[in-house]
Amino acid sequence: MKPFAIKLLSAALGALLIGALPVKGEAKELRILSWEGYADPDWVKEFEEQTGADVNVVFIGTDDEIWAKIKGSEGKDFDLFAVNTAQLQRYLDLGLVEPYDLDKLPNQKETLPRFQDLSTVKGVMRDGKVYGIPYAFDSIGLIYDTDKVKTPPDSWTALWDPQYEGKVLAYDNGEHNFTVAALTMGIEDPYQLSDEQLKEAEQKLVDLKHNVLSFYTTADEALQLYQHNDVDLIFANYGQQQVKAMQDAGAHIAYINPKEGAPAWLDTWAMTTGVQDKELAEAWVNFVLQKKIGQQLSERTGFGNTVVPFPSAAEGDKLVWLESVEDPTMRADLWNEVKATP
Amino acid sequence: MPRGDGLMSARAVEAVEAEAGSPGYRALITILAYALPVAFILLPLILFLIQSFFYVDHGDIVRELTLRNYERFFTGPAFLPVFLKTCALCLGVAVITVLVGYPVALLIASLAGRRKYVLMVIFVVPLMMSYIIKIYAIRAILGSNGFLNRILLFLGVIDEPLTFLIFNLQAVMLTLAVILLPFAMLPIFIALERIPRSLVDASFDLGASGLQTFRDVIWPLSAQGTIVGGTFVFVLAIGDFITPQMVGGANGFTFGRIIYSQFGFAFNWPFGAALSVILLVAVLIALGAGSLLARTRHQP
Repeated sequence: MKPFAIKLLSAALGALLIGALPVKGEAKELRILSWEGYADPDWVKEFEEQTGADVNVVFIGTDDEIWAKIKGSEGKDFDLFAVNTAQLQRYLDLGLVEPYDLDKLPNQKETLPRFQDLSTVKGVMRDGKVYGIPYAFDSIGLIYDTDKVKTPPDSWTALWDPQYEGKVLAYDNGEHNFTVAALTMGIEDPYQLSDEQLKEAEQKLVDLKHNVLSFYTTADEALQLYQHNDVDLIFANYGQQQVKAMQDAGAHIAYINPKEGAPAWLDTWAMTTGVQDKELAEAWVNFVLQKKIGQQLSERTGFGNTVVPFPSAAEGDKLVWLESVEDPTMRADLWNEVKATP
Repeated sequence: MPRGDGLMSARAVEAVEAEAGSPGYRALITILAYALPVAFILLPLILFLIQSFFYVDHGDIVRELTLRNYERFFTGPAFLPVFLKTCALCLGVAVITVLVGYPVALLIASLAGRRKYVLMVIFVVPLMMSYIIKIYAIRAILGSNGFLNRILLFLGVIDEPLTFLIFNLQAVMLTLAVILLPFAMLPIFIALERIPRSLVDASFDLGASGLQTFRDVIWPLSAQGTIVGGTFVFVLAIGDFITPQMVGGANGFTFGRIIYSQFGFAFNWPFGAALSVILLVAVLIALGAGSLLARTRHQP
């Protein structure tokens, strides 16, 4: 969900830094596994000064890398790690994560309304205990050209609207497209579709092709297509990052989260069962939930944070947190069939 | 050829060489000459072939031999039609490149002295440019806000931008033809180059017209190169998966894209491997047909 090269670079740099750091046995130590941008050096420094602890941050590049590092050491190598709610489930299944004591996180009560009651945030709790503290998110919404689209759309159905024939850029990925088709069809759980619902969604996506100019895979590619063609609507798989890149390039565009719900990823802080100093780990999570850090996080990464309102989502927007889907292979196959249908 | 054969023949050669008492380095070179293709071409191909008989169950590869991947290719609603459509498309690309490439190659080959080599190099230079950049450039030219539409609008030829230029199968065919043209031209040029000037002169001396000379002398002697060029283009085009993605739009879906998606989104490597084997068979058939055609052409 970030440019891969940056992640790779930061992971490499992070690994280098960790290797170079002297190992101190005495001082309190906090070991964090994180995406780049979630534990910036200035925040780490401030936290170290406040607590007198040593903070070691290792940056990762992919979800699978987190899994390999946490699963590989049975959680012993790290105290905290950043993980999205869909991925968190497999750590929960294997008992690799430790529940939080919310009393130790006073800042959690100051978060945005949608994150205050964690029982309403799907995927962060299990058996009444909190395992993931929401930290950053972004949605998959709709970008529209403000010069050409006079009435701002508020629904995914705009993608199917005949007036945009040949003026829609869609994203080349079955999983998310089926989710959005299901949301548009009013299906409650777009991540667990029955065979029948999949078939209906497939037909819905075949219909979408009438309007599609082309499918894109990277945000850069979408921008290039937008610049050289008459494009009104874009299925914005890369959310705010894509919006920012397009606006930087001078595009007159705006972004909405459609009313049927926008799929959104949500990264959380999770604590391993191998946590050395639980209080210190909770102190870090509480520390990064400050308004100042939330603001900086959003300004620096373009992602939504959980404490300060940011353009990723207005307060009333319906976000549907991403989950693992019923059968990714099936969706990929059906997506191929959609593309092959003339 | 099974892997064992390749290794054995390498050893056999080594043994023969050793008996003959050749210098050590010659034996070494011989071993390398066999071992490298075996290790880097044959072995991966065999692994691929084996992989194609496995299958995926809930995201895990099951290492049991089965024909289900091949069965799926023939029974699935999308695979066979897309495969045939892709073959037709690539045949079209081959025909276009030959029709365009032949006259140009003929013109260049008929020039005297160094000029012809300079000109030929100019035609081949685009091959050194990144393939992706060329596709991006074509997109920038053909897009509805692209270079071509802007010129036509400026000249008043059209009032509205033309949208049929890009994001359809014709655009894929055109783009592939532009990119692969040098591959067709080179073998044709070399074939034309090899025709002794004296034969053409003799034909004219004996009173043949330009057309007759072409039909009875130049064409028969360059047909082989032409077929090689066309086959080359077909084989390169059929494996391509980037061009359709970039200029094919919603309906420019080709077989290469299906294979690509099996390794990316679908994580179904065995099925991707099976589809690749099918593609390989198609390529081998194309090469076989090409060489058969070239051979029969050679003996009028």
